[in-house]
Amino acid sequence: MRQARSWMAAAALAGATLTGAAVPAQAERELTLWSHWADHETKVAFVEKAARELESRHADVTVKITWYQKNPLYAALQSALRAGQGPDIFYLDPDRTEYIDNGLLLALDDLVNWDNVYGWARSAWQHDGKTWGFPLEASTVEWYYNRDLLAQLGYEVGPPHYQLSQTDFQALVEKATSEGVTPIVQGVGDRPYPGAYVTHELLLKKLGTDDYGKLLNGGLSFKDPRVMEVFGYVEGLVKAGAYPKSFSTLKLGESHYYFHTRPGGVVFPIGSWYTSRAFNPPDKGGQPEDFPLGMMNGPAMDGGACNACKTNNVAGSFVVNAGTANPDLAGEFLNILATPEYGNLWLSTVLVQTGIKADTSTITGPYRDYFKTLEAVNESAEYFFGTPLQFFKGKCRETFEQVMNTGFPAGLVDSETATDMMNDGCFTG
Amino acid sequence: MIVFVTPALLMYAAFTAYPVIRTFWNSVHIIRPGGRTEFVGLDHYVELFANDDIFFRAVTNTLTWAGVAPLIDVGVGLLLALCLYARVPFARIFRVAWFTPVLISYVVVAILWMWIYNYDWGVANMLLRSVGLEDWQQTWIGHPDTALWSLIFAHAWKWAGFNMVVCLAAIHALPREVLEAAELDNCGWFHKLVFIIVPMIRPTLVNLLILAFIGKMRVFDLVWIMTGGGPMWSTETVSTYVYKRAFEWNTFDLGYPSTVAAIWFIVVLCCVLGLTWLFRQRDRLEY
Repeated sequence: MRQARSWMAAAALAGATLTGAAVPAQAERELTLWSHWADHETKVAFVEKAARELESRHADVTVKITWYQKNPLYAALQSALRAGQGPDIFYLDPDRTEYIDNGLLLALDDLVNWDNVYGWARSAWQHDGKTWGFPLEASTVEWYYNRDLLAQLGYEVGPPHYQLSQTDFQALVEKATSEGVTPIVQGVGDRPYPGAYVTHELLLKKLGTDDYGKLLNGGLSFKDPRVMEVFGYVEGLVKAGAYPKSFSTLKLGESHYYFHTRPGGVVFPIGSWYTSRAFNPPDKGGQPEDFPLGMMNGPAMDGGACNACKTNNVAGSFVVNAGTANPDLAGEFLNILATPEYGNLWLSTVLVQTGIKADTSTITGPYRDYFKTLEAVNESAEYFFGTPLQFFKGKCRETFEQVMNTGFPAGLVDSETATDMMNDGCFTG
Repeated sequence: MIVFVTPALLMYAAFTAYPVIRTFWNSVHIIRPGGRTEFVGLDHYVELFANDDIFFRAVTNTLTWAGVAPLIDVGVGLLLALCLYARVPFARIFRVAWFTPVLISYVVVAILWMWIYNYDWGVANMLLRSVGLEDWQQTWIGHPDTALWSLIFAHAWKWAGFNMVVCLAAIHALPREVLEAAELDNCGWFHKLVFIIVPMIRPTLVNLLILAFIGKMRVFDLVWIMTGGGPMWSTETVSTYVYKRAFEWNTFDLGYPSTVAAIWFIVVLCCVLGLTWLFRQRDRLEY
């Protein structure tokens, strides 16, 4: 009897084992994501929230996110993708079109619900009739200023245009310098573009969107009299001491601190993602709580074709690796982001514009006034979509980085030489 | 015999010979991700020599660095070694202190010197301000006139200690009777250095100079972190340019950067062979 029981127990155990073996274990799936923004807490929290939501929808899915600084991220991507590896989803800026040219990205037209994404933001990623990136972050080039300092220097800006004339702006720079205050805070120590903000925004105002677009596409010479006039004007600002002495080595994060904390400066032209650093707590590099932040538009150029023009661009975006084994999961992750809820969440926590449709009226709390001002400053704006880096490639891009971004605003070359060099690198005739 | 040699040969073939051969192969192709290649013959070479002015700036900067820095590195290293050999007070502490930079990674050295060179609060400008030389303040690594020399100085600071240790070992290995004979002949320190020590450790110094030369011809880390080759290409070296062309030029092509690397490989090889031949011939003439 005992032996019979043993056999029955053994049979039951074997049966249970076999049954268990017959039911296939649910395979674990991992969605990998590499992203910039390692030191942007609010953006990290935003993306992590979407990742956790995807995981909550699928018990077998894990989203593994690796956070980088931008330059190391691009170096890692180049190596990984060349070797046919890389994450399922990764961060990319729209100027990196070589990823599209080399077939490394998956078209997102059928993967993403585009109803909740602004058309202008989607268009930043459209090439050859397909959409290659999900435009998460968007920004306009804004001219932030210290209200108290501007008032001390005897200037004010307000509606309807929120801008000074080019003569007044020049006088402001000269007066600030004479009083020992840095007029325009900018640093190019770790970025290839901030030093060119003033020049390219003034070029846009002077030329208007059509001719400015031609200039960036190589169809208009940098020796065009209007272009030369703008370079000459900026050269005057540089000679008047517009930029910090440490301009060439000042890093982006340091330039924020320079502007709002120490030693301070009057104007800080930068993308409207200023807030993602400045609205952190002061002990994490944010601006002081009582900082008198103001916003103006760049100076109106004499005879400017479009003095209401400013640059609007899609910045941080997510793209999907063409070699991903999880295209559906990647699409689902992006669709979690492509909802008004996430659009509003981005606005209210990251405090930067987004390509996802969102409603600024939903923003409450201490930064509501900031968004009201942002809307007011942009109320009559005409946008040009894309920064120069989104147009320039190869030698032209390198010349832009070394000349327009660094050498020219640092006073290392004059306007004549700068435009010669830019023409040599970029003008195709 | 073959069993013992094979692993080393395989390692050499995989990690040295193959990359070199592959670089030359790449240099006549356009190389794109996914194994897509296109043969372009000597187009890259023509482009490099006919149109690439940034490459020639990089070459000029690199040759300047490789020409000057080894003399500073070895010269300072020799002087420090002589200080220790002469048993200056606190010699042991100095030996550790002077050698420590060798142990620090380039990243840390670069950050350290970026702080030192900072215009607003760096030690260099603070020192100048403290002695009333405000007008001499510089954006040390932000101006083309000073950037390259500032980097060379930082690089020399890192490597002087290595040269010091090697020179010190060489000096200690000198036959005592020769130095004692010189002292008996009332030979002063300077003459002893010039006519006895330096000639006798000359092979060591030559090796150090050649090693330093090779190192400078492919300098990358310090430049990349401190200036990225700027401002206005004033610190661009061939290595940073190769990296830029490979990873920052908004193209995935590895062909053109390989051309630059291949050309530079030949240049460095020729320089090293030339220097070795030159110094060897002198040895023969002297003895």
